[in-house]
Amino acid sequence: MTTDHASAVFDVVAELLTELVGDAEVLGIEITPDTTFHEDLQLESIDLVTFASILAEHFGADVNLAEYLAEQDLDDVIGLTVGDIARFVGERTCPR
Amino acid sequence: MTVNGLRTNVQLVPAGGTETVVFLHGMGTDSLASFYLTLAPPVAAAGIDVISYDLRGHGKTERPERGYTLGDFVADLDDLLRQLGVDRPVHLVGNSFGGTLAYSYAVAQPARVRSIVCIESEPATEVWAKKMSVILAHTVRFLQVEESFAWIEANFGAHHRRLARMAAERITSTKMAEEVPLGPLLTWEQVAAIGCPVLSILGSHGYQADDLDALTSLLPHGELHVFEGQGHSVLVEQHREVRELVLKWIGRHAA
Repeated sequence: MTTDHASAVFDVVAELLTELVGDAEVLGIEITPDTTFHEDLQLESIDLVTFASILAEHFGADVNLAEYLAEQDLDDVIGLTVGDIARFVGERTCPR
Repeated sequence: MTVNGLRTNVQLVPAGGTETVVFLHGMGTDSLASFYLTLAPPVAAAGIDVISYDLRGHGKTERPERGYTLGDFVADLDDLLRQLGVDRPVHLVGNSFGGTLAYSYAVAQPARVRSIVCIESEPATEVWAKKMSVILAHTVRFLQVEESFAWIEANFGAHHRRLARMAAERITSTKMAEEVPLGPLLTWEQVAAIGCPVLSILGSHGYQADDLDALTSLLPHGELHVFEGQGHSVLVEQHREVRELVLKWIGRHAA
C-alpha cells in the first residue's frame, strides 16, 4: 500500500465517520489515526455494525469490516482506532 | 422494518443456503453487534443465511417504556420470521437472555425451530424468574448510585463504565427489570418436551455453575459443552471456540 493510497483512504474513512457522529468537532476532537472508536468518538459496538454497512456501500462488498473484526481479540475491538479501520480498508482496496 | 409494532433494527446476511440461523443477543448492554461482529461472518461464509436483530429496547430498535415480558419478545421473533418469509425451521443461537428467549420460542412454535444453541442461558422457569428478579433488582439499585460508575471504571476500565451507563439508561427508563421475570414462565414438563436438539454452552464459573448438567440431562436431545475457568461472558471471551462449536452443530443438524 503506498503512502498516497493510505492517506487518501484515511481521509475518506474520516469523512464517512461524520455520517455516524456528525461533525467530530462537536465532541471537541479532531479525528486522527489514533482516535478511538468507542472512547473518543463515544460510539457503541452497534455503531460499528452501521459503519460496516457504510464502508461496504462506499468501497464495495470486499471491504467487510465485520469479517475483519470477527478475527480480532476483544481488547483490540474495544481499543479500535480510526487508523486501524483505515489500514484495513487500505489493504482491501490497494491497487494491484 | 416494523416488527410487532416497533421500529426494529434487522441485519440480514443472505448466503443462499438451505439453513437459516437467527442470532438472539442478551439483555442490558447487549445488541446484535455481539453476534454480528463475531459469529455472523464465518457462519454466512459457510453458506448459512443469517438473521440478526436488536431486541426491543436494545441497540437501534425502538425502546418503549413497557412491553418487556418474554411473551412480547417471543411475539417479536415470530412476527419477524413471518415478515421475512422464513418458512423453514431455523437454528436459534442465543446468548444469555437470548437463549432464554430461544427456549420460550421453541415451546411456543416447536415446528419453526430446527435446533437451539444456548450460551450461558436457561429456560424461563420459576427458578430462572427468581434469579432474574434478584439480579435485575440489584442491578437497578447499583446503577442508581453515581459512585458505582467510578467503581466500575476503577475495576474494569473506561469501556465498561460506558457500557454500565448504557445499561442504566435502558433499564431505568423502562419497565424492563420488572417485566422480564414475569414470563410467561415454563413448567419443567414444557422444558422437557422441547424436542429439537439443544446445545448448551456454559462457563464453569457462569450463572449455572451450581449444577452444570441439570438442564441438558432433562432435555431429550440436549448436549453440553463447558468452558473450564470461564465466567458468564463466554461469547465475547471465547468467540473463536464458540464459532467452531456452532458451525459443527449446524452441520450436524442441517435438514
